[in-house]
Amino acid sequence: MSELLVVQDLTVTFPTTRGPVDVVRGVSFAVGRDETVGIVGESGSGKSMTSLAIMGLLPKGATTRGSIRLNGTELLGRPDRELRRLRGDQMSMIFQDPLSSLNPYYTVGLQIEEMYRAHRGGTRKAAREVAIRALGHVGLPEPERRVDYYPHQFSGGQRQRVMIAMALVCEPALLIADEPTTALDVTVQAQILRLLAGLQRESGTGLVFITHDLAVISSIATRVLVMRRGEQVEYGTAEQIFAEPEHEYTRMLLESIPRIDDSLDDPPHGSLIGSPDDEVIL
Amino acid sequence: MTRYVIGRLAGVVVILFLVCLFTFVLFFTLQPDPAVMICGKTCTPERIDQIRDVLGLNQPFLTQFFGFLGGIFAGRDYGEGANLVHCAAPCLGYSFQTNQSVMDMVVERLPVSATVAIGAAVLWLIVGIAAGLLSAVKEGTWWDRTAMGLALGGSSIPNYVLALALQYVLVVQLQVLPFPQAVAFSDDPVVWFQSYLMPWIVLATGYACLYARLTRANVIDTLAENFMRTARSKGLSPALTMRRHALRPALTPIATIFGMDFAALLGGALITETVFGLNGVGKMAADSIAKNDQPVIMAVTLLAAFFVVVGNLVVDLVYTRLDPRVRITTP
Repeated sequence: MSELLVVQDLTVTFPTTRGPVDVVRGVSFAVGRDETVGIVGESGSGKSMTSLAIMGLLPKGATTRGSIRLNGTELLGRPDRELRRLRGDQMSMIFQDPLSSLNPYYTVGLQIEEMYRAHRGGTRKAAREVAIRALGHVGLPEPERRVDYYPHQFSGGQRQRVMIAMALVCEPALLIADEPTTALDVTVQAQILRLLAGLQRESGTGLVFITHDLAVISSIATRVLVMRRGEQVEYGTAEQIFAEPEHEYTRMLLESIPRIDDSLDDPPHGSLIGSPDDEVIL
Repeated sequence: MTRYVIGRLAGVVVILFLVCLFTFVLFFTLQPDPAVMICGKTCTPERIDQIRDVLGLNQPFLTQFFGFLGGIFAGRDYGEGANLVHCAAPCLGYSFQTNQSVMDMVVERLPVSATVAIGAAVLWLIVGIAAGLLSAVKEGTWWDRTAMGLALGGSSIPNYVLALALQYVLVVQLQVLPFPQAVAFSDDPVVWFQSYLMPWIVLATGYACLYARLTRANVIDTLAENFMRTARSKGLSPALTMRRHALRPALTPIATIFGMDFAALLGGALITETVFGLNGVGKMAADSIAKNDQPVIMAVTLLAAFFVVVGNLVVDLVYTRLDPRVRITTP
C-alpha cells in the first residue's frame, strides 16, 4: 500500500502564560491511498490538534516540529499561500458540529460553489451544477431545490451530509473527519458513518477518522492510532489493537465500551473513573 | 408579509396616538401657563383670560385634544367671523410665540436636521467601522489599544464640550473654518460644507467611538466562529474569507443599531443644533420647551416618535433581508 499521508514525530506547541506546552508530542502515523485510519482518544488527547496541524489550520502562535508529507510533499513550514491551494483541493476536513461549521448567512449551494470555484474556477452556473450533483451524491433528496436552502433549514444529519458533500466536491486525496457523528442522534450517526464509509470506498479517498468512540473505529478503520495527553499510546492495525492491545490504556478504553450483556450492578471494566486526567494539562 | 406590514403600521398609529395623548396630558398638568408667559410683565387677569380664550385653552381637555387630532387629518379653523383662519390638513396649529404655522416650521427645519444627521452618519459609519475592523484584525497590537483607548475617551466627551473646543480651536485660534452660517447648498456649496462640518464632526464622534467598539467586538466574535475555520479549511483566499464569511455576520447587528440611531437623529440633534445655532428640529424642540409653546412641543414630540417607530419597522424589515434565519411569520 503506497502511503498518501505520512506524519512523523509531529509535535505541536502552544505558548501559554506558564511557558510553552506540547499539546501533541512525537506522533507518527501514516494513511495509505484508499485507506481509513482511526485516531482514538478522549477529549484533550490532541487528536483534533493533530488534524488541524495536517490542514495547516492551527491557531495563531502554535508551532510545529516533525514532518507531515502529503503525496511525498512536506507540508510543515510551507507558506500559507501554498497550503491554501492544497486545502479543500488535495485535503479537506469535516467537523463535529455541522450547524456552527456552516455559515448561517449563505445558502449551502453558495458555500459548496465557492469552494469548487476557488480551486477549479469556472462560472457560478457550472459550479452550481456541481453543487447539486454533490448534494445528490450524499443522499439529500431534491438537491435542485435544497441547493438554495440555508443551513438552518436542514436537520442535523442533513447538515453533516452537506458538509461531506462540500468536503468531497473537489475529490480530495485525503479527507479528515473530526468526530463527524458526535453531535448527531444515534440512528443518524449510523447513516452518516455508512455514507462516509461508502463514499470512501467508492472514491478511493484516504480517510482519517477521529473519534473517542472505539466501537465506530472498529467497523471502518484498517489502522488505528490511540492518543492520550498529546502522546501516541499505540499504533497498529485494527485487528492487532482490538485483539491484543499492548498498552494498558488501550485495554481500558476497549473495556469501557458498555456491552448489552453487562449488568448495571457490575462496576465498569477496569474503571476509568478518575484516572485519565488527574493532572490538568493546560 | 403584507399582512405583517399592515399590522405593524397599525401599531405605529396606535403608538403615535398614545404619544400625542401623553404629551397633551403632560402639558395640561405642568406649569407654567403659556398664557401667563405670553402676557409678559404688564399683565392683568382679564388679559390672561382673553389670551386663554384666543388660544382655546379654556376649552375642556377632550375638546382640545380631539381638535388637535382633527387638525392633523382634516384641517381646522381658528377664530371667528372676519378673523377666521383656515389651517389645511395636516394642521399642527400655530406657535403660541410667533403665530407661525407649526407645519411650515417643521417643513422649514426638517432639512437642516436631516442634513446634520446624514452627514454625521456617513462620517461615523466610515470612521467607526474602519477603525473597529482594523482593531479586530490587529487585535492586541498597539493600533488596537490606541484606537480603543481613543474610542473610550471619545465616547465620554459630552457633545457641547467637544463643540466648544472645536469652535475655539478651528474658528477662533487656527481660523481654518468660518463661523457657521445658515447658507443653502445651492447658494454657496463651500460655505455650506464649512458650516456643517463642525456639527457633523461633533455629532459623529460619539457614534463613531461606539460603532468602532461594536464593530471590533463583533468581528472578533465572528472570526472565532466554527464556520470561519470551515472557510479556511476550504482553501478560500483570506480576502474572500474576510469579506464574505466574517463581515456580513459581524456587520448585520450594526445595521440594526444604525437604523435606530439614525431614525432618532432625524427627530433632531438637540444639543448639537443648539450649540451651533442651527435652525433644525432639535433647536426648535429646545426653544419650544423653554417657552412652553404647546403646539410646537406637540409637533416635535410627534415627529421624533414617528421617526423612531417607523425606523424600528424599517430595521425589522431590512433585518429579514440581512439574516436569512429571521423570517416573518404572521400568526
